[in-house]
Amino acid sequence: MRRAFSTALCAAADRDPGVVFLTGDLGYQVFTDLEKKHPTRYVNVGIAEAQMVNMAAGLAKEGFRPIAYSIASFMTARPFEQIRVCAAYPGLPVLFVGAGGGYAYASSGVTHHAGDDLALMSLLPGMTVAAPCDPAELIALLPQLLELPGPAYMRIGKFGEPAVAGAEPAVLGRARLMTAGEKVAVLTCGEQAYAAQEALKELAAAGVRPQHYHFHTVKPLDTAALARIAAAAKTMIVVEESSPNGGLGAGVAAWLAAAGAGTKYVRLGPPDEFFFGGPARETVTERHGYGKKAIIEACRKAWVG
Amino acid sequence: MTIEELEKKASEIRATCVQMACDGRVGHLCSSMAYVDVLVALYHGGWLKHFPAEPKHPGRDRFILSKGHGCTALYAVLADRGFFPVETLAEYNRETSCLPNHPCMHTLPALEMSAGSLGHGLGVATGMLYGLRLKGSAARAAVLLGDGECNEGSVWEAAMFAAAHKLENLLAVVDYNGVQAVGKTDEIAGFTSLEGKFRAFGWAARTIDGADMRTVMETLSAFPFEKGKPSVIIARTKNKVSFMENDVLWHYRVPSEEERVKALAELGAAPIYGRKP
Repeated sequence: MRRAFSTALCAAADRDPGVVFLTGDLGYQVFTDLEKKHPTRYVNVGIAEAQMVNMAAGLAKEGFRPIAYSIASFMTARPFEQIRVCAAYPGLPVLFVGAGGGYAYASSGVTHHAGDDLALMSLLPGMTVAAPCDPAELIALLPQLLELPGPAYMRIGKFGEPAVAGAEPAVLGRARLMTAGEKVAVLTCGEQAYAAQEALKELAAAGVRPQHYHFHTVKPLDTAALARIAAAAKTMIVVEESSPNGGLGAGVAAWLAAAGAGTKYVRLGPPDEFFFGGPARETVTERHGYGKKAIIEACRKAWVG
Repeated sequence: MTIEELEKKASEIRATCVQMACDGRVGHLCSSMAYVDVLVALYHGGWLKHFPAEPKHPGRDRFILSKGHGCTALYAVLADRGFFPVETLAEYNRETSCLPNHPCMHTLPALEMSAGSLGHGLGVATGMLYGLRLKGSAARAAVLLGDGECNEGSVWEAAMFAAAHKLENLLAVVDYNGVQAVGKTDEIAGFTSLEGKFRAFGWAARTIDGADMRTVMETLSAFPFEKGKPSVIIARTKNKVSFMENDVLWHYRVPSEEERVKALAELGAAPIYGRKP
C-alpha cells in the first residue's frame, strides 16, 4: 500500500501545486519519484514529529495541502497535541498518513503498535478518519481526502496487501458494499476487508451468504448505511484491527444502542491490551480471534442463530 | 514614530494590560507587560507590515504570539493599530468576548493562529515561511516566545528545521523575563544560555536590553542578523512597574484597586480604552 500511496501522491502533486509532502524521516526509497520530480515539495523534516505537524499546519495556513507521513504510532500518538492544537482546532486541511497502522508492525513491539490510531484521531472534532483496504482503494480515496476543507487521517498498510474486490466504488464517507448477501452483515475497516472476503468465499460454498460492507471511512460514520444494514440484517459483525475503545466497532455499537435497533452486535478485534515482545501480526490476529477463521465461525453462528 | 513616541505608546499599552487584568479578573499580567516594548517596536515601529483594514492581506508579515497566556498586550496593540475597536478591550475574558484569556482565531480572525499551549508557534511559523518561499513571497514572520516556553522540546525541533532550511525571513523573540509559572527560568534550565543554545542550533542570535526602545529598534533594523540564518533576539525584558518585577506572584495575581492605581501612576499613562469622549 505504501507503493500505491507513493504513486497516488505523485499524481496528486502533479495535479496540484499546493501539495507538499512531509516525512518524519521514514519511507526509504518509497518516495524517490516525488523527490526527483518536485524536490521543493518533498521535505524530510527529520525525526521530529511535533515539528512536522506544526510545520504542516503553517503550510496549510498559507493555502497549501500538506501531507504528513510517518509510522502510524509516531504519526498519531506522539504528536497528538500538535495535531489537536495546530491542525484540528484551526480546522486546517492537513492530511496525516500513518503507515503500518493497527498491528502491521506487530513484530517491532509495543512502540510500533498502532491499534489506537483510528480511535485517537476520531477523538478530534472535524477530523476525517479513513482506513483503505487495499492499494486500489487508497488510490481512489487519496484525491477525495485532498478535497476536504479540514484535517484528515489515513491509516495505510505496508507492502503487498492483496487486492480486494468490491461491488461498489470507494466514496469517502460512504460504506462500500463489497459483497451482497443476507441475514448477517460483516462490517470491516482497513485491511480486515481481505480476511472477510476470503471468509465469505468459503462460507458461500456452504450456502452461508452474509453481506459485506467495508467502512473505509471510520469517521464520519456512515449512519445512513448502518440504518439500511440494521433493517436488513439480524446480526452485525464488525471486524477491525483497532482498540475496542474507539474505532469502527465502538462507533457501530454506540449507534446501534442509540438507534434502538434490534440487530445483534458482534465485534471481532484485538482487546484493550499491550502485546509484549515481538509477536507476528498473524499470531496477534489468531490469538485474539479476528482473522479469517474467526470470521467464518462468527458468520456460521449468526447465520443459524 | 520617534523613540520617545514609541516609549509613550509602550507605557499606554502597559497601562492597558493592567486595566484589562482588573476588568477581566484574570492574571498573567507580567506575561504581557514584559514584552510590550518589543511588540510596540514590531507594530508601531514599522518592522511588521500589517493591514488593519485587510488583516489577511497576502503581503502582510506574519506575527505569532506563541505564549498565548500573555495576550492582553497583543490585544491592546491590535486594537490600537485599528484591527478592532479599542472599546472591545473592556470585554476581555468575558464569556461572550472575542478576546478570551488565551487567543482564539475563530473569535478574533485577525490572529494568525490560536494559542495557549506552549511550544507550537515557532514550528507553525516555519511552515508558513516554507510555504511563502514556495509562493515566491518575501513576507517575514515574527514569533514571540516565552523564556519558560523554551523548555518545550518542540521549540528546538522547530529551531533545527528553521536553520536547516535557511529561513532567514524568520525572527524569533524570546521574552527573557526570567520567571515562569512556578519558578525562575534560568534555574529550571540549569543556568544554560538561551543565546548559546540558539547559536548551536544554527541561528544568528543577539541578547539585548529588551526594555530599552532604542536598543530594540536598532536590533530590529539589523534583521536578518546573518545572511541565510534565522534570527533570534533574547530580549531581557521588564514589566516597568516596580512592585511587579521579577516576582513569580505577578505571573498570576490580579491587581487590587490600590495596586492598579499605583501601577498606572508608575507607568505615567492611561489605558487606551474607557476614556471619556
